[in-house]
Amino acid sequence: MAHVVLKDLVKTYGSFKAVNEVSLTVNDGEFVALVGPSGCGKTTTLNLVAGLIPISSGDILIGDRVVNDLDPKDRDIAMVFQNYALYPQKSVYMNLAFPLQMRKLPKDEIDRKVREAARVLDMTQLLERKPRELSGGQQQRVALGRALVRDPAVFLMDEPLSNLDAKLRVQMRSEIKRFHQDLKATIIYVTHDQLEAVTMADRMAVMNGGYLQQYDSPAQVFAHPVNMFVASFVGSPAMSLIPLEASTANGSTVLTSAEGWNLELSQSNARKVQSATTSKIVLGARHSTIKLHKSSVPGAIPAKAYTVEPTGDVTFVQAFLSGAIVNISVSPSVAVKPDEQIWLEFDQERMHLFDGETEMALEAY
Amino acid sequence: MSTVSATAARGQSARRLRIDGWRWGGRFFLVFMLLYTALPMIWMLLTSIKSGFAAMQFPPQWWPDQPTLASYQKLLDPQNSVGQDFLRFFWNSLIVSTATTILSVIVAVPAAYAFSRFTFPGRNFLFFAVLLRNMFPAVIFLVPLFILMRAIGLVNTHGSLVLTYLTFGLPLAIWLLKGFYDNIPVQLEQAARIDGATRFQAFVLIVMPLSTPGIIATAIYSFIGAWNEYIYAYTFLSKNEQLTLPVGIQRFFSENTTDFPGLMAASFMMSVPVVVLFLLLQRYFVRALTEGAVKH
Repeated sequence: MAHVVLKDLVKTYGSFKAVNEVSLTVNDGEFVALVGPSGCGKTTTLNLVAGLIPISSGDILIGDRVVNDLDPKDRDIAMVFQNYALYPQKSVYMNLAFPLQMRKLPKDEIDRKVREAARVLDMTQLLERKPRELSGGQQQRVALGRALVRDPAVFLMDEPLSNLDAKLRVQMRSEIKRFHQDLKATIIYVTHDQLEAVTMADRMAVMNGGYLQQYDSPAQVFAHPVNMFVASFVGSPAMSLIPLEASTANGSTVLTSAEGWNLELSQSNARKVQSATTSKIVLGARHSTIKLHKSSVPGAIPAKAYTVEPTGDVTFVQAFLSGAIVNISVSPSVAVKPDEQIWLEFDQERMHLFDGETEMALEAY
Repeated sequence: MSTVSATAARGQSARRLRIDGWRWGGRFFLVFMLLYTALPMIWMLLTSIKSGFAAMQFPPQWWPDQPTLASYQKLLDPQNSVGQDFLRFFWNSLIVSTATTILSVIVAVPAAYAFSRFTFPGRNFLFFAVLLRNMFPAVIFLVPLFILMRAIGLVNTHGSLVLTYLTFGLPLAIWLLKGFYDNIPVQLEQAARIDGATRFQAFVLIVMPLSTPGIIATAIYSFIGAWNEYIYAYTFLSKNEQLTLPVGIQRFFSENTTDFPGLMAASFMMSVPVVVLFLLLQRYFVRALTEGAVKH
């Protein structure tokens, strides 16, 4: 296994910058997820690391070797593709053996390694089958086997679960996680599903528009999103972002909505707002940090319930505040009806404040 | 209630009648087309096993009184002059067609792959330029190509035909094969390259086997085109010992106007290689290409 370093990585297509000065380090044995909406440059970044497309500028190091100009075959990597990319004319055995044959290993060693990989992934009885005779989950496992049979320095995975049905996806998710724990493998994992990134990765790199937005542990990204994009992308349902206007009078800082209600901020939040470049402030709140009241309480903001979605464990209530959708989770025992008058109380300790112009998270000095 | 269901039933049977009408119409049409294509061939075969006299009779003998393979024996006998000519024409056709086929595959495979996988300046222009040749009737190029062949000293050689047939066959071969390559997921090659193959190895070891059906279809197409071509062979070749079968048979016809059985036997034998090729390789046409390779 080895660590991977990306330094100011750039990929341009004509005037379009698909990957924009991305720098990050993947430690030896670390599971890193590249996550973002489609077109954010995550798959391009992975293909750059794999060497499938040439980089425009910057450096890629695998281990301590600069691999910028190396062919994929010389980078000591293995890759799992979204569509598995199993060789259709070859049996499972030959699919697993192919990377070893290409490295001209002796026949008996190939046989030993293939059978070992098949045993680990519990598919010894499938070795003679052709890929088309396998189920989606089995094909996925063969693709994983073909990657691990060679003991590469880095595993690259490009949305390996997105072609599976929901139930199998959850199962394979834990299998890949287990695979990572057992092998202490360095894994770079591309996904558009923030839940996969949060549940599997040691660290997640959130990308948007070709730029790396934030690179940190899922817990940190969740608790301290650096900007409004990361805040709304990570977590489900998404964080509610409410545009407001800040004003300070008589030593207290107040956020005012277009609808006319005011929210008085705590001392630390007031300091954050004072660091903003503008009076336009966006208030971010996760569904679990908003308290729903059925009668007026001091500091709570009046709203109307819009939709009510019971999921069994919790019930999600949506409301409109200042033109933005606000998600609130309540216990199923709280009965809320659509169009019912409710009052929302924000947790000052756990709320997020963003600069309305730069969209960056506001920090207290 | 009963009237309603009766009406419904009547509507249903009317619909069934209409469907049956179409279905039977379709069947009649297919049978007609089958007879239309098969009867001349059957008649060719029947005539070829008649005696010269029986072939000229009117009303015709629907089934020969005395079937004979004499015409075939004559054509395949290297001892007499007719047999010598026929076998030489056959051999010439085989050489020209095989050479055309091999060259066309050798050129079309990399060309189609490049069109399918790479972006390069002028790619679209080139791709349509390739087809330009096929937008005009073949005859238009007859004189220019003849002058060209004379200039490079290829008149009266089989090389002139091979070159000419390539200008017919290659464009469509490239188009056909590009379709096959487009359908092979690029991830298969990427996987191979990561698994330790060079770009060329990925092509030879992974893509080529998958495109075999396409290559075979293309090869058969080129072969049949070259095998049946008449006008250019007639124009470019004047020496008897170089003629290909279509021209040879035509000459055979003008020299032996009354020998219908011989003519039909020659025609039949000319169609044999094409049919045999087709029967041997037809399973490649229908084989599902990349089934199971990727999930769609």
